Amino acid sequence: MAEKKLEVKDLKISFRTVNGKVQAVRNINFDLYKGETLAIVGESGSGKSVTSRAIMGILANNAIKDGGKILYDGKDLMKITEEEFQKVRGDKIAMIFQDPLSSLNPIMRVGQQLIEAMILKNKALRKESKDNMKRMFHALDTRMEEVGISDAQADLAKFKDFGLEHAKLETAYTEALDNANEALAVAQNAILRIDSKAFDAQLHTDITQFVHAANRSKDYFVVRDRAEELDAAVAEVKAAGTPKDEAGYAPVREALAKAIPVLEEAAGYDVPNTFTLGYYLKNVQNEIPKTSVAEMNALTHKETEEGFMNAFIAKAEKAVKYSSEETDKARREAIEIMQKNLAPLEKEEPVRAEVDAAVKEMKAAVAKCLDPLEVTKDSLTHTFDSSIDYAVDLYFGGFQRNEKEEKRFARMSAKHQRIIDRGKTPDWEVIPMNLVNLEAARVDMADTVKEQIAHFEDQLSANETADFSKRTLEIVDYLKEQTENSSYHLTNHVARERAIKLMEGVGIDNPRRRFRQYPFEFSGGMRQRIVIAIALTADPDILICDEPTTALDVTIQAQILELINNLKKQRNLSVIFITHDLGVVANMADRIAVMYAGQIVEYGTAHDVFYEPAHPYTWALLASVPDLDTKEKLESIPGTPPNMIYPPKGDAFADRNANALEIDFEMEPPMFQITDSHYAKTWLLDPRAPKIEMPKVILERLARIQERNEAKKAEMTKEEKTNE
Amino acid sequence: MSEVTTNDPILRVEHLCMYFGRGEFVKKAVDDVSFDIQKGEVFGLVGESGCGKTTTGRTIIRLYDATSGNVYFKGKRIVAGTYAYKQEIKELKAKIAGKAKDGAALENKLSEKEIEEANKRIAELREMISSAKKDHKDARKHGDVTQIQMIYQDPVASLDPRMTVKEIIAEGLRIKGVKDNDYIDKKVVEMLETVGLVEEHATRYPHEFSGGQRQRIGIARSIIMDPEVIIADEPISALDVSIRAQVINLLNDLRASMGLTILFIAHDLSVVKYFSDRIGVMYYGNMVEMATSDELFAHPLHPYTRSLLSAIPLPDPESEKGRVRIRYNPLVDHEYSTETPEFREIVPGHFVRCTTKEFEKYQENYNK
Repeated sequence: MAEKKLEVKDLKISFRTVNGKVQAVRNINFDLYKGETLAIVGESGSGKSVTSRAIMGILANNAIKDGGKILYDGKDLMKITEEEFQKVRGDKIAMIFQDPLSSLNPIMRVGQQLIEAMILKNKALRKESKDNMKRMFHALDTRMEEVGISDAQADLAKFKDFGLEHAKLETAYTEALDNANEALAVAQNAILRIDSKAFDAQLHTDITQFVHAANRSKDYFVVRDRAEELDAAVAEVKAAGTPKDEAGYAPVREALAKAIPVLEEAAGYDVPNTFTLGYYLKNVQNEIPKTSVAEMNALTHKETEEGFMNAFIAKAEKAVKYSSEETDKARREAIEIMQKNLAPLEKEEPVRAEVDAAVKEMKAAVAKCLDPLEVTKDSLTHTFDSSIDYAVDLYFGGFQRNEKEEKRFARMSAKHQRIIDRGKTPDWEVIPMNLVNLEAARVDMADTVKEQIAHFEDQLSANETADFSKRTLEIVDYLKEQTENSSYHLTNHVARERAIKLMEGVGIDNPRRRFRQYPFEFSGGMRQRIVIAIALTADPDILICDEPTTALDVTIQAQILELINNLKKQRNLSVIFITHDLGVVANMADRIAVMYAGQIVEYGTAHDVFYEPAHPYTWALLASVPDLDTKEKLESIPGTPPNMIYPPKGDAFADRNANALEIDFEMEPPMFQITDSHYAKTWLLDPRAPKIEMPKVILERLARIQERNEAKKAEMTKEEKTNE
Repeated sequence: MSEVTTNDPILRVEHLCMYFGRGEFVKKAVDDVSFDIQKGEVFGLVGESGCGKTTTGRTIIRLYDATSGNVYFKGKRIVAGTYAYKQEIKELKAKIAGKAKDGAALENKLSEKEIEEANKRIAELREMISSAKKDHKDARKHGDVTQIQMIYQDPVASLDPRMTVKEIIAEGLRIKGVKDNDYIDKKVVEMLETVGLVEEHATRYPHEFSGGQRQRIGIARSIIMDPEVIIADEPISALDVSIRAQVINLLNDLRASMGLTILFIAHDLSVVKYFSDRIGVMYYGNMVEMATSDELFAHPLHPYTRSLLSAIPLPDPESEKGRVRIRYNPLVDHEYSTETPEFREIVPGHFVRCTTKEFEKYQENYNK
């Protein structure tokens, strides 16, 4: 099975409104695997958008998180702080909204909107990397000194020094390479224009752009010794000025044609290892060796290994081992302290003062368990403070609030009763009690601690067989990356080139011209492509698409769906696709969750849900889609979804279901498992239930589909045979 | 297409053109579109957004003034485009004065005979314009225009938020001059019941309703005038799937009970196929194919129709995964440089916009 990217467990969300508490999402569970598409289907108001917003952490102000977990990358997205969420939102999990016009800024050119995200991310990354670098160097320094390595300071200074040199070289190299690519594209474009005799303003911009880009591409590793040739070509282009006719453009064309092979070659060179080169330049010889790039890489690599790296790694490994041992010690202590202090939390009626004292002690112990030399952050330990505080506050806060709420409810009901007693009918209803589930909140307190203990035990057992040299290399790589990021300044120019590439990637023709246009100059489908491109600038893990095609028409819808599908394959994205149209998801989805009244009523692979639907609501959804083959009366779903201030007692769909059983009005059905991958929440699956057939429309359609598919298969096998 | 019709159509659209903008920047939203709708029929108009299907609907009820072409309702002309006539008069006058378009003097002036002819033509055109004006006036006077009603796409934006449902539904009657309040009340309740709402809803405001209910109010507003023709402009594209079925069923019932004729504009092909008797496919202001709905889906001929049909999502994962969308590129698919395409009949009742060459090809393909 593929890697689990996202886990949603028992998610419960409600909204405070004037009329009472609306329970928008009630206990939903699903997993999202790497590289798969999960479709969430349901009517408006079924809670599908609320779920996606909870994952993005953009719930409205009046939302109450009643409980549950959204686990991503070891973090519980329901509990982490806003600062931490900002590292996830948009960066790791991106979202595409329904209306492409309202999600773009109307007074900004689309190119600028694409670049903006990249530049801001780069800026944030620089600052973060600087902090990370400082922290890691400091930690390594102290730990090394603690093991008894005296010259740690000097080594680290050296590392920092050539690390920065490496970053400088790297930036210069990528920028020059990007410019070379741009110059090449523009030159080819300009030649095309000259050949087709289009002597217009665009040609002038192309030529000026070529001159700029070509000048910027003269890096040692990019254009190399052919820089003079390129210079000459640029000079010729410049000398020609801005001619008006074909004869005037002849020298420009010639010069451009000369520059093209130089630039083409530049793109094909080996990539230099700037890291080892940085060391070489700083510590061995202050000059780039005059050999081929491959040879130079080998030479500098050897120098770096022998001169510095091997020794440094050996020293660092000692520190890492020591640090890990120290942390393990702290963990064992913390486990003891937590187990000792668990009692007041587990009491039948916890006392605030006792709990607070216990929690304080636990927090202090857990805080010591953070290994300063960790590369991937141990997020559970990091967020232990906020998790336990949240759980404790929920319980004790809820205690007081519930009292108030009960008083209010009693007062209101009494008033209501008085009016009725007087023989009148009041025109208002009593708002139901908005209570915190105290039992669940109490259990949650102890569970948070138990989870932490289990986590520490896992770590302890993992550390027994840990490979410290691997961990050290990870740290070196981490340092390398952070130094690189901390000085990598993404210029507007480079960002522009990248944005244009992205626009090309999402299928926008002539991106160089489109780049400078405003959103209103794009059609609906193109706008949606821009929104997708913006979402992809950060290279996310998970893409949430909230009805991305509802505002578009059929052909454009098909194009956008194809685009999302292709991107998913190329980048191995996990996609959550939200829609109300079952027809749309048939070609996209690997798995489908059908939502109704805040619950998942059916969950399975696309095959399960389309060919063997089990829940009456899924039947109704399928039956209300008009069919190309029949003209029978459509089976609409009568009525409207239930009011979620007063969630129905039994099966939420019973009121609108013509074939509802008696028990549907009494008791909520559990989730029945049909096959390994297919679940449905309906009493019909209970062995005692009467046999109720799917609506005729669907049965007939399924029969037709089967017939058609079999015919197709038969045809294919026939073709294969004839081919043989 | 008047030659194919046996009985008189209830609505006939002839060479309708609607251009926006003037001079160089003219945008041909509807360019020479002709079709007939028989009584009691549902005529579907499909195409991607921006192809002019909504403009066609709006021009028919004169929300826009047509550039040229005529629309006949029960044999009476209700829309007559005069802009093209006016342009011609202007040009002729300039010619008589001996000036080119930009005001420069022409080299060879018109002979006297030619001037006489031109004057004659101008008089003719003026006659046509005045007759068009008279027809427009008559159509208004005799209440023909109220026989055609429209249902709009967005049920939220098309209802005035400050009016109660009763006021919204009764507005048409009041404008028509009905003053009897009891009659209006009775009629409103009747309409509400027809569309599946109840009397209590009359005093509420639009925001208190769900999307499907709002669309029902829009339908009630249009049927209170007892129309013969309803132009439904994407009435379901803003609604949820389950509600869509309710609205389509309602329209279908009304069609049976009131004998309505419906011009159904939509981009959702599966719904159009389900609902319409005949379908016209539009592309960039032109009608490219027209046939009965079964015929169109069984034998799509024009490449654009094929590409549209191939884009319909089906609730069947197996076939969806193997689906190949046909791309339509007018520059590749057609050779229009030598011959302007015309609307031709391939088999009785099935029209395609094509050149002679394509016509032969389509006929050959059809018979295969």
